[in-house]
Amino acid sequence: MERAVEIKNLDKSYEETPVLKNLNLNIPKGTVFGLIGPNGAGKSTLIGILTGLLSFESGEISIHGMKLDTKNELEIKKITASVLQPPLLFEQFSSLEFIEYVCEIYEVEKEGLIEKAYSLMDYFDIKDFAKIKVNKLSSGSRKKLAFVTSVLVEPKLLLLDEPFEAVDVISIDRMKTVIRKLKAKGVTIIVTSHILEVVENLCDDIAILHKGSIKAYLDSVSRKELQKDSSLHEIFEKYVEVERKEEIVDWL
Amino acid sequence: MVVVLMDSDPWMQMQLPWLTPDIYTFILLVFGNAYWVMHFSFTNMRLMNIEENRKLLGFGFPLKRLAKYLTIIGFCHPVNIIYNLTWLVFLLIQVRSAYQAFVAIAAVALNYVLIYSIKHRFIRVVEKRFIAVVVGFLFLVFGLFQLVSLFASNSRRIFAELIPQVETVNAFLSWLPGGMLIQTVTKDYGWLNASIIFFFAVILIGLTVIDHLNKTKEGLLNPGLKKAEEESSTLWVLLRKVMGRNAGKYYFYVMKHPYNRLQVLTLTVIPIVYVPLLLNVEFEMAKTILIPTILAGIPVALLAMGMANMYGYENREFLLHLQFPVNLEKQLKERFLGVILLPLLVFYLITVFELLVIPEIGSPVQIFVANTFFFLMFMLLFVWSSYFQYQKATYSSFSYKHPIIPQKVTFAISFLIFSMGYLVFVPLNGLEWYRLTIMSTVIVIMAIYLWRHMEVLVNLFKNRVLMRLWSEL
Repeated sequence: MERAVEIKNLDKSYEETPVLKNLNLNIPKGTVFGLIGPNGAGKSTLIGILTGLLSFESGEISIHGMKLDTKNELEIKKITASVLQPPLLFEQFSSLEFIEYVCEIYEVEKEGLIEKAYSLMDYFDIKDFAKIKVNKLSSGSRKKLAFVTSVLVEPKLLLLDEPFEAVDVISIDRMKTVIRKLKAKGVTIIVTSHILEVVENLCDDIAILHKGSIKAYLDSVSRKELQKDSSLHEIFEKYVEVERKEEIVDWL
Repeated sequence: MVVVLMDSDPWMQMQLPWLTPDIYTFILLVFGNAYWVMHFSFTNMRLMNIEENRKLLGFGFPLKRLAKYLTIIGFCHPVNIIYNLTWLVFLLIQVRSAYQAFVAIAAVALNYVLIYSIKHRFIRVVEKRFIAVVVGFLFLVFGLFQLVSLFASNSRRIFAELIPQVETVNAFLSWLPGGMLIQTVTKDYGWLNASIIFFFAVILIGLTVIDHLNKTKEGLLNPGLKKAEEESSTLWVLLRKVMGRNAGKYYFYVMKHPYNRLQVLTLTVIPIVYVPLLLNVEFEMAKTILIPTILAGIPVALLAMGMANMYGYENREFLLHLQFPVNLEKQLKERFLGVILLPLLVFYLITVFELLVIPEIGSPVQIFVANTFFFLMFMLLFVWSSYFQYQKATYSSFSYKHPIIPQKVTFAISFLIFSMGYLVFVPLNGLEWYRLTIMSTVIVIMAIYLWRHMEVLVNLFKNRVLMRLWSEL
């Protein structure tokens, strides 16, 4: 199967603290890929590197067959979109101005863009905020606006860092529907989340990241096998070696 | 202090024969009232920090106690304490009877709580009508300057007309707030009246503090709501057309910042007031140094608004620009040149104005080279500040209290503008050509270096700012 992302021996540190250690990961094209891990595992750092916002010390990354370096940087950025946590939006713009600005940069076909934008905003119940300044939106609406914009730029690789955080249940379901539609169109989607039920239900392959390296890679076959006896939650706990600490709070 | 303490000294009376008791009272009253206006303007309420402190309510901190503590800490701001102590010293050195001291202390306390209470309400008005209040304030300043200039140029005639009427003026001034405070120590009103005044002052203080306490409680429970109203941004559409998407967006952010709007207004008013004043001054040096320095300072201040903290306006959202499929160097270059555009335009307008209206300040070449040098030197300072003094800018209505340019940079600018003015504009007569040659050479070297090494902006950004943006929440 063709790979959307190939990561070999990736190392990343913040000053002296290593965050990603000799990380290897391959993500197949046209799949929804779940990246799970406890807080501080390095998920956001990995997404930051894939979006080109963070540099890395050593290793190699290829996106759609192009090596992630200064030479291919712009080509890769053209086919990649992301929703970071917290989402990056233009605070002094209205929601629609923001969408128009970003789509123009990504050279999205202008014809029908506004209609598409309104229809997606309507789907996520943020249509009424089209002309409202972004800095006046609630955290859930901000997340939805960032998601809508990232979909409208028609990426081949969509990076979603905790996209369901602060979003209501109905909108989570709608996000899942949109993600499935994108997958059907051949888009690769990488999702990080702490809501394991959603990841389990939405993703084809799942990787467990812990202390800067991949502890387990669960493709559809191995997941079926493993999940016969245990839930994703239990598998997750096993791989991140959850320390039982109940006795600490015995005093409660 | 000299006037207050030494007015009856024989030597003083000999040195200042015009210091009659009426003029003495007049000086005290002018000082008292002017000081009251300053006290009112500078009374600071920042320590209350209601938005931050209200979080304590979530941890179960009792509302009443929190309001009480915030009221106390708000009253204890060091600047406010200094003003009140100065009042006490100023009044108590004039006290003649013990009862005056008690009344003066009560009056100072009452004055403070009233100022505090009025400002509390005034701030709400400011929040709603920010521009109107600022324009009003600037007109007041403008009026004051005009008044001072009128007084300075006609002081003899004014004194001659004022002296016969000084008693009437004093009567008026003594019923203004500062005057009333002075009256507490200059009038003889006896123990009985003093007790009554003291008693009512204490009751008023108590009522005002209770009112303030209630307002604080109300503020803690009702934080400012974000109004979600539709806003049209014709400014953005215009800037986008004129400057392009990238630089246009940046300038839009710069111009949306309330602090900058205030700066622009100030920058417009200052030369309108000062330049005509200085043009009438007989001292030639004032014209040749101060006028060009003030005028050269205008584009510099505009440049500071845009360039001294280039990433402070957008903060973390700038990371989205980095994800765009547009070369970072191109983006930074566009912003850099965009920021220079308006100050440069103003710079040329000022240079032409100087050449046409006040040619006596120097030859065209001198003015042009000196102004360019002045501008470029500050540009370097601002580029340094942008990368090494980055700080997040806020967009609250009161951000004029939290300027986007770090205060140390502002102080450096103010100091350097005048130092540079002396360096660049002081007439050197025979040595002028040496200075012109040095300045021209530096200008050419700097321009060529910057043009050929724009990547320095990218490297500085990656090394100094990027990680701060990434980790900023």
